[in-house]
Amino acid sequence: MSIAGFEVEVERGTGLETEQMTLNMGPQHPSTHGVLRFVIKADGEVMRRAVPDVGYLHRSIEKISEKVGYHGFMPYTDRVDYVAAMFCNQGWGMVTEKLADIEVPKRGEYCRVIAAELNRIASHLLSVGTMILDIGAITPFFHSFREREKINDLLEELCGARLTYNYMRIGGVAWDLPPGYEEKVLGFLGQLEPMLDEFHDLVTENTLFRGRCSNVAAIPGEQAVAYNLVGPNLRASGVRYDVRRDEPYSVYPELEFDVPVGTGAAGSVGDSFDRYAVRIAEIKESMKILRQCFRQIPDGPVVAKVPRKLKPPEGDAQIRVESARGDMSWYAVSDGTEFPYRCKVRTGSFAAMSIIEDISPGLMLADLVTVIASLDIVAPEVDR
Amino acid sequence: MAGALSEYFRNVFDTAAAVLEGMAVTCSHFVRKPTTVQYPDRTDVRVQDTLPYRYRGILEVDLEICTGCLACERACPIDCIVIDAKKDKGTRKMMLNRFDIDIAKCMYCGLCSEPCPTGAIHHTPEFEGADYSLESMVRRFVNESVEAYKPKKVEDDPKISPILERGMRYLDEFAEPGDEAGADA
Repeated sequence: MSIAGFEVEVERGTGLETEQMTLNMGPQHPSTHGVLRFVIKADGEVMRRAVPDVGYLHRSIEKISEKVGYHGFMPYTDRVDYVAAMFCNQGWGMVTEKLADIEVPKRGEYCRVIAAELNRIASHLLSVGTMILDIGAITPFFHSFREREKINDLLEELCGARLTYNYMRIGGVAWDLPPGYEEKVLGFLGQLEPMLDEFHDLVTENTLFRGRCSNVAAIPGEQAVAYNLVGPNLRASGVRYDVRRDEPYSVYPELEFDVPVGTGAAGSVGDSFDRYAVRIAEIKESMKILRQCFRQIPDGPVVAKVPRKLKPPEGDAQIRVESARGDMSWYAVSDGTEFPYRCKVRTGSFAAMSIIEDISPGLMLADLVTVIASLDIVAPEVDR
Repeated sequence: MAGALSEYFRNVFDTAAAVLEGMAVTCSHFVRKPTTVQYPDRTDVRVQDTLPYRYRGILEVDLEICTGCLACERACPIDCIVIDAKKDKGTRKMMLNRFDIDIAKCMYCGLCSEPCPTGAIHHTPEFEGADYSLESMVRRFVNESVEAYKPKKVEDDPKISPILERGMRYLDEFAEPGDEAGADA
């Protein structure tokens, strides 16, 4: 045959030769929510493989714990996952309490749950907002961030910081709820509901959004379990597992809430749309939990007596917290001194990161952005 | 053929409808109050004045009520507080020779103001700390060595009592630790 005037011999039956192209995405890319890098083998627009390259945000947080002691490590845990710092605070508090056998007063536990659930709403709002932004729509992003800003204001009033809260202490929380806090939070929840309805019209029902998300990177339940996906990512694949319900901690046994799972509303179960829908459903569950907390919160102290120089007895402890990004496991070893011997955090984003290589073949290049955003990967949580 | 064509037109219609629906929400914002504030020149009051009482801004020390107990220095996980407090051999009084806070290092965690017995070290609502040199980020609170505050049962010095009152009010915000038995109550 002739191409542009040249006679070219093409073997019959094999078609035109295609060449694989190696692309680099990141480490600085707006859709990666931090610093992470992908090496992509692409054939035209279709990915053959996307290999994540982690480690750009490693800050040795686990090692720092060995140098600053039990109380001093609390502000560092904020930096493990800065989008949902309350859960890291709670995790470190709980693992140390288990090591040193400290009981948290009931009101302290409720304060923790209130702060954590507010933080979960904020984190999910950020997650769905940036997911839509990455897909290409900018308006819903502002809507979700406007609401998140109100939660930031509420948390600022509670603990004095907007992102790195350092609210919890070993044995409880640092500050009691400020006066009039209940009305403020309930007022916020009251106006969040119409906003979610508006968000539903704007995004969930949107044909373009559904087109970009449905059937994209569907993860079946078995694969999700095999890759140790946790939290909303796991539940979107249809596996009804929530640490708050199945291995209850804190005051969650006293609270009533549902565990939403992916239903395949826009295509197959476990696709990017399901991951989005589960997060929206979880925001509603968190609102339910918050309302119950304010009804049930008892009076009393919010923090137990803990010595300034805490020396837990020798041993190790492991606890799990349902973070906004799923089952967050904290493990600490004490050697009887005032510094932990070892601390280890396992986070949800790391597992979500590892599955990308397996689900990427065959996806369009533009869908990788959807996958990263829908798995809600927060880069600092991957490396710690 | 007809099926494909009708699907094509349905898609066009759906997309146009979705865009219009989005535009309706967007347009409704023309008549809503704006939520953004132009910082710093279009705010009615200083932003610092609108912040909640617990806001953790740049640290400040009231030397008049500092006892020189070094509790804050010990509590700081990154050692950004340096205090030199010595007992004077002649007068037998605690003297403060140095009280530096490196606000470039400080991570505003608030762990230092918690153990302070008088509320001398506390967070202010001030957050605008930009400067041209790293050196000026070190806040030096002691110019020449001063005598440390000695707690009394009742503070009667009219100069110190309002400062101490402010400090104690700051400390009152922190949660009182209860006994473990309180968990059952």
